[in-house]
Amino acid sequence: MATPESNAGRQGRHHVGREVVVKVEGLHKYFGRNHVLRGVDLEVHKGEVVVLIGPSGSGKSTFLRCLNFLEDPTSGDITIGGVHVTCGGHGSAFKRAVHDIRMKCGMVFQEFNLFPHKDATENVIEGPILVKGEKKDEAIRRAHDLLTKVGLAERMDYFPSQLSGGQKQRVAIARAMAMDPVLMLFDEPTSALDPELIGEVLKVMKGLADGGMTMIVVSHEMGFSRDVADRVVYMDEGQFIEQGPPSQVFFHPRDERTRRFLRHVLPEKEPEHAAELGITEVGQDLPAPEATPGGAEGS
Amino acid sequence: MKRRAGIASVALMAALLALLVTALTPVALAASPSPAPEGTPVVTGTIPNPKDPKGIKNWAGDRVQVNFKPNGAELDLASCQLFIDGREEQLAKEPFIVPAVSRATSTLEFPLAAKHKAGKYAFKVILVTTDGQHVEYSWDFLSEGEAGSGSLVSVRVMREWFWFIAEGAVVTVELTIISIAFACVFALFGSLGRLSKKMTFKQAWDRYHSWGYMWRMVLGRIPYWVATFYTSLFRGTPLLLQIYAIYMVIPEIIRYFGLPESYNPPPFWAGVAALSLNYGAYLTEVFRAGIQAVPKGQNEAAWAIGLSGWQTQRRIVLPQAFKIVIPAVGNDFIALIKDTSLVSVITVEELLRRSQLAGAATFSFFSTLLVAAAFYWALTIFFSFWQAKLETRMARDKAREREQEKK
Repeated sequence: MATPESNAGRQGRHHVGREVVVKVEGLHKYFGRNHVLRGVDLEVHKGEVVVLIGPSGSGKSTFLRCLNFLEDPTSGDITIGGVHVTCGGHGSAFKRAVHDIRMKCGMVFQEFNLFPHKDATENVIEGPILVKGEKKDEAIRRAHDLLTKVGLAERMDYFPSQLSGGQKQRVAIARAMAMDPVLMLFDEPTSALDPELIGEVLKVMKGLADGGMTMIVVSHEMGFSRDVADRVVYMDEGQFIEQGPPSQVFFHPRDERTRRFLRHVLPEKEPEHAAELGITEVGQDLPAPEATPGGAEGS
Repeated sequence: MKRRAGIASVALMAALLALLVTALTPVALAASPSPAPEGTPVVTGTIPNPKDPKGIKNWAGDRVQVNFKPNGAELDLASCQLFIDGREEQLAKEPFIVPAVSRATSTLEFPLAAKHKAGKYAFKVILVTTDGQHVEYSWDFLSEGEAGSGSLVSVRVMREWFWFIAEGAVVTVELTIISIAFACVFALFGSLGRLSKKMTFKQAWDRYHSWGYMWRMVLGRIPYWVATFYTSLFRGTPLLLQIYAIYMVIPEIIRYFGLPESYNPPPFWAGVAALSLNYGAYLTEVFRAGIQAVPKGQNEAAWAIGLSGWQTQRRIVLPQAFKIVIPAVGNDFIALIKDTSLVSVITVEELLRRSQLAGAATFSFFSTLLVAAAFYWALTIFFSFWQAKLETRMARDKAREREQEKK
């Protein structure tokens, strides 16, 4: 596992602290007989940005949704921001703990999931008013700050149906941030967007990372991972196969499965870097790890 | 604009209520107060009727009817006689008793062999009882013509009975609005009950292996069972049966337990109960479909920002579901307007029953039912229009778009 020290101050963008924000131990999830997560362990430090990659069906979305109990994990232990839950429980104490963990996490979905009957501001203030009991004026003021921060100062009274995909996703990020989470979860936040709209969302996410937010991101945006991630995790068949700094996982993968996955993804997502590595077509093998000099970090 | 529509709706409702009160006020019936000796029939009214409360001046000209209180007597029908202008009238067949409308009075009908045109007539009937009593009754009538016999549809009948039938239309509207309101409440709870089932008992056992959890799950399943039983029962039996059942079975129960008769449901409210329970069962399924049509991601997004299950339903899911179900509820509303006609069988004087009564009094069902049909049609058109308005109003995002375009 990558230690925070080895990444701290990498390129000097943001600081990864020693404090452990997320600790997951032995997480298992079954859908009926289907064993989707097979004992996952993860530790994330304050300010760290972790990117999960892997083929579809590998369990990365399920893992993310287990962290705030949108899926109920079958067994394992989750601690986020000091709140600990032993999975597989029931009853009111368990429900309270789940609620507390959800309060620590902000989640951004692939399909935005904005509330269509509420305008941008109303989407953002819903949680603070109902859950935290904030005063409406105060909540609106903070919502306007957040929407300005994500570049939507002009669109605060627009309904989701009047916004582009990128704008919707930025409202969704503001809505999650309004709950003051210690951890932000991004479930393929740019997969449903037109290519020309991806940049604006990634820019906001990068801003969050630079601001010291702890983030776990499921995404195949290699460029984003290379620039922002402290750690990339390759996941397959419900397990973490390989993890490390982006330079290592992307360009010098040790595991055969990671290599096989990347040589399908790289030419499409990152043609420049694929070309750098001498890959021109999908499915072409990566150069062997020892054949490429180390430290080929992205700019 | 919005406010004016609101005021208009309130004014409309007030007018309807005022008319309802008028409609429900019992019409003072002219009843003969003089006590008659046992065994002597007493004539209480006639058709044609010179003292008609509505001032009706026409007569079909092909029959004469006499309403009377039998007072225990039985008529010797073959001996009863009718005289018009002093001459005994030729009959098409023997006089007969019209199948009973009420038990208190009977109606004797003389079918005439010839039709009578407009003009002034002097009538005299002699009722003969089986034990030889003779009761004479005479009256004059100035007929302005033949209602219902001259032409198929009589504009005069329609005009004269319009307000009588219109009062029935007010009762119909009241029945519809009150019933749909209750039906929506039943449907809301019914649909939440129907959707309260999260997993099967087997899944729960496999997951938790806890008897305490299973017991709580049994308790938590009760709303689902109740809602399922409710929709199954009320969708599985005819509405007409339910109307009869509520109107007639409840008094039987009350009698069985020796409770005062004042607990018996009034016909109007028995009708409301049957209609709202029946439509509530159908709307339960509509609401359930509407709630399920809200994407699952909406629930997840609400949970992710910490909303509780009930907050999620109330603030996020139900408002969206409500918008989805408006067309279906509007459809049921329009069906309900017409199904209120079924409560005419339990003596509620709504639109259909009023038009039947008017038809019976004028022998021109074509005219009076035509008026009723026009009312029903007008009501459905009116409410479809308001449904469309409501749909536009609910589309808040589109409204905001229009505002922003104006700027």
